[in-house]
Amino acid sequence: MSQPIVHAEGLSKSFRVADKQPGLAGTMRHLLRRSYREVEAVRDLRFAIQPGEIVGFLGPNGAGKTTTLKMLSGLIHPSAGRVEVAGCLPQRRQERFLQQITLVMGNRQQLIWDLPPLDSLRVNAAVYGIDPTEAKRRIHELAEMLELGEELQRPVRKLSLGQRMKAELLAALLHQPSVLFLDEPTLGLDVNAQARVRDFLADYNRRTGATVLLTSHYMGDITALCERVLLIHQGRLFHDGSLDALTSRLAPCREVRLELRQVHPREAFEGFGTIEVHQGHQVRLVIPREQLTQQVGLLLSRFEVVDLEVSDPPIEELIGGLFRQQG
Amino acid sequence: MACSGSRAEMAHRNGLKPVQRALRIAAALLSSQYAYMLEYRAEIALWALSGVLPLIMLAVWQGSAGAAAAGLNPQGLGRYFLAAFVVRQFSVVWLIHVFEEDALQGKLSPQLLQPLQPLWRYLAAHVAEQATRVPFVALMLAAVLVLKPGLLWLPSAGQLLLGIVAIQAAFVLRFLLQTLVAMLCFWSERAAALDRLLLIPYLFLSGLVAPLESFPPAVRRLAECTPFPAMVSFPAKLLAGESVDVAGGFLNLALWCAVLFPLSRLLWQAGVRRYSAMGA
Amino acid sequence: MAQRLRRYGRTLLSFWATSLEAELEYQLNLVIELLAVLGNLAGSLFVLVLLAGPSGQLGGWSWNSALVVLGIYTLLDGFTSCVLQPNLSKIVSHVQNGTLDFVLLKPIDSQFWLSTRSFSPWGLPGVIAGLALIGWALVHNGEALSAGGMALAVALLVAGGLILYSLWFLLAGLSIWFVKVWNATEVLRYTLVAGRYPISAYPPALRLVFTLVLPVAFLTTVPAEALLGRASAAWALGSLAAAAISLVGTRLFWQFALRHYTSASS
Repeated sequence: MSQPIVHAEGLSKSFRVADKQPGLAGTMRHLLRRSYREVEAVRDLRFAIQPGEIVGFLGPNGAGKTTTLKMLSGLIHPSAGRVEVAGCLPQRRQERFLQQITLVMGNRQQLIWDLPPLDSLRVNAAVYGIDPTEAKRRIHELAEMLELGEELQRPVRKLSLGQRMKAELLAALLHQPSVLFLDEPTLGLDVNAQARVRDFLADYNRRTGATVLLTSHYMGDITALCERVLLIHQGRLFHDGSLDALTSRLAPCREVRLELRQVHPREAFEGFGTIEVHQGHQVRLVIPREQLTQQVGLLLSRFEVVDLEVSDPPIEELIGGLFRQQG
Repeated sequence: MACSGSRAEMAHRNGLKPVQRALRIAAALLSSQYAYMLEYRAEIALWALSGVLPLIMLAVWQGSAGAAAAGLNPQGLGRYFLAAFVVRQFSVVWLIHVFEEDALQGKLSPQLLQPLQPLWRYLAAHVAEQATRVPFVALMLAAVLVLKPGLLWLPSAGQLLLGIVAIQAAFVLRFLLQTLVAMLCFWSERAAALDRLLLIPYLFLSGLVAPLESFPPAVRRLAECTPFPAMVSFPAKLLAGESVDVAGGFLNLALWCAVLFPLSRLLWQAGVRRYSAMGA
Repeated sequence: MAQRLRRYGRTLLSFWATSLEAELEYQLNLVIELLAVLGNLAGSLFVLVLLAGPSGQLGGWSWNSALVVLGIYTLLDGFTSCVLQPNLSKIVSHVQNGTLDFVLLKPIDSQFWLSTRSFSPWGLPGVIAGLALIGWALVHNGEALSAGGMALAVALLVAGGLILYSLWFLLAGLSIWFVKVWNATEVLRYTLVAGRYPISAYPPALRLVFTLVLPVAFLTTVPAEALLGRASAAWALGSLAAAAISLVGTRLFWQFALRHYTSASS
C-alpha cells in the first residue's frame, strides 16, 4: 500500500466559547467576570486516505465535518493529535502545501462579484505562478468539462447559482491541485446542476487522479461519488468504510413490500417480521437480513403475491434515526 | 365594503385620536430603535470619538496670530469650540448612507407598504443614536476638562435650554438638507457621493473649524446667506454664552426649515413614484 | 527567490488591474472626487489664511512652509484613499463573511494580499493635488535642495507613509477579535486631520501626544522640514526608526492575529 496522502491521528478540536447571558444584566456580568465553557467539536479522529480516493464526510449540522475539513486544509489548528496532508503539516501553510490543495465552499465564494470570472482567473493564474498561455489552455480544458462558455465573460453577479458554482470550481482547479477539499459544493443547486457537478467531479477524479474530500448533506452527492464514507457523529468517527457497510451496520434489516391478490388479516403476517404497513392489499414488512431469503420464500408460497419489492430503508432515514437516538 | 376612509376616519375606527396614535407610534419607534442602537454602542462610541475636529481646531486656534487679530480671547475660543464640539455630536446626520443602502437593496419596499412615512423611522433612529451617544460624549467632555480645567463653564439654565433647542433645530435642519440629497437615490446610484460635496461648505462655512468672527467681512456675509452657520455657529454661541441675536437666529433656522421641508416632501413623492415605477 | 519576486510582482499587477476595472465603471466618481479634493483644498487654504492672520505665520512657520505641510497631508490623504482605505477596511468584511479563509489558502503572504489587493483610482486627484501644492510651495521657497537633501526628504515621506500604513493595519486588524469596532479606522482618519498644520502650532502637551501617541509629527511635519532644507538629524533618525519599528510591529501583530484566528474560528 502506497503512502496515504491524508493522514490523521488522534485529531481533536475544542473551542473556548464565552458564556454570555442575553440582556443588559448578562452584559454587565460578562464584563465583570467572564465565564467560558469548552465545546468539543471533534474528538480523536483517525483515518488515512490514499491518493485518488473520493471520500465523503457525513454527519448532521454541527457534527464537526467542516471543522475537520478546515483542520485538514490548515485553517484551524488542532487542539490535539496530528494531521499530515501531502507530506506537509497543514497549519504551517507552506507554499508548496498551498500549491497542492484547494478549498471550495458551497456557501461562500472567492470570485470577484462585479467582474467576469475570467478576471478572477487571471488573478489566480498570477498568484499560483501559472504561465499565461498555460493558464489559457487549462481554462479552456476545464471550461469544456464544466460546460461553461460565454458565462466566463459575464459578471459573476449576473450568473445563476449553478453557473457560479461551476465557475468557482474552475477557479479552484486552475492550479491543478492534488487534493480537493469540498465543503457542501452542491448547496442550493437545482437537481440538474447538482448532477452536472457530480459528473464533473467524478470525471475530474478519473482523469487527474486527484484526491477528493467532500462534505455534504445531500445523500445524492455521497452515493453518486463516494465509495468511502466517514461518518462523524457528535465529533467522533462513527464509521469509516463503504456506504453499503454503513447500511448493513445501521440497518440489519431490509424492507419487503408486498401487493397481494386477496386481503388477509394482520395476524397472518406476524410471524414473518415487523409489520410496518397493513392496508388492504398492501403490506410492508421489515425482516432481518439473515432470515430474508427464508421468509420471502415462505411468503411467496403461502400467499398469492402480485408484486414484491425488497429494498433498503433509505439511508437518510437510517442515518437520521441514528442521530436522533444518540443526539 | 368600499375601500375608503381618510386617515382620521381610520384612526377613529381604531378608537384612537390622531395625536394619541402618533404618540404611540413614536414611543414604539423610539424604544425599539434605542434597543437596536444599544447593540451597536461600541461602534457609536467610536463615532463619537471621531468628532474631535473642533477640539483639534481649538488647539490650533489658541495662541494663533489669526485669533489675536480677530479679537478672540483664549477663554472665549475655548468655550466656543467646546460648545461646537457638543453641537456637532448631537446634530450628526447619517441618513444618506442607510437610505441609499436600503433603496438599492429593495429594503424600502416593505416599509412603503406600512401606513407610516418611512422617513420617520430614520428620524427615530437618529434620535435613538443621539441618546446612546450621551454617555460617551460626557466621558470625552470629562476627559477634556480634567486636562484643562480652565475650560469649564456652566451655562445658565436659560442658556442651556435655548442651546439644546437650538441644537435640535440644527439637527432637524441638517436632516432635512440630507433628505433632499437622499431623495436623489431614487434617480442615481451615487447620491451619497454628492453628500460628500455638501460636507465641504458645512465644514468651512458653519463655524466648525473657524469662528465666523475671523472671516473677512465679505466672506462672512456670504456664509450667512447659507444655512450652514445656523447649523453650528448659532447653537454653539448660545451654549457658550456669547451675545447673539437669539430671535434672529431662531427665525433664520425656522425659515430654512420652512424652505426645505416642502421641497423634500415633493422630492419624496416624486421619488417614490419612480421607485414603484421601476419595480421595487 | 527571483522567481518568487516575479510572481509577487505579477500578482500585484493583476490585483490592481482587476481592481481598476471594477472601479472605472463609475465615471461620475471622478468628477465628484476632483470637486471634493479641490473643495477641501480651497477650504483648508482659507482656514490657513485665517489662522495665519496679518503676520502670515503659524506656529513659527511661514505661510509658504505651512503650505508644504498641507500639501504633504493632502498627498497622504490621497494615498489613504488609493490604497489604505479600499484594502484594510475590507478585513472586517472578510472576517464576517468567512472569505478570509480563501485568502489564507492562497500561496501568497496574507498580509501582502490584504494590504495590496485593491487600488482605488479615486485617491489619485488627492495625490496629484498634494504633489502640486508641495511643488508650488517649494518653488516659491527660494532655497533649492541638494540631491542628498532631496533623497532624505523622499525617504522621510516614505517613512511617513509606512507609519500611516502601520497605524491603519493595526486598527483594521483588530477586527479579527472585535468585529463591532470596524470603524476604528474612521476615527484614525478623523484624528489625523491634525496633520494639516505644523506641529509647532499646537500647545506643548499636544505636541507630545502627536509625537509619541499618534505620530502625526512624523507624518507631515518632519518630511516638510526635510523638504524645506531644515531637517534635524534627531527627528529624521527618529522618523526612520519609527517607520522600521512599526513595519516590524505590523508583521508580528498579524502573525499573532492569525494564530488567534486559526485557533478560534469554527
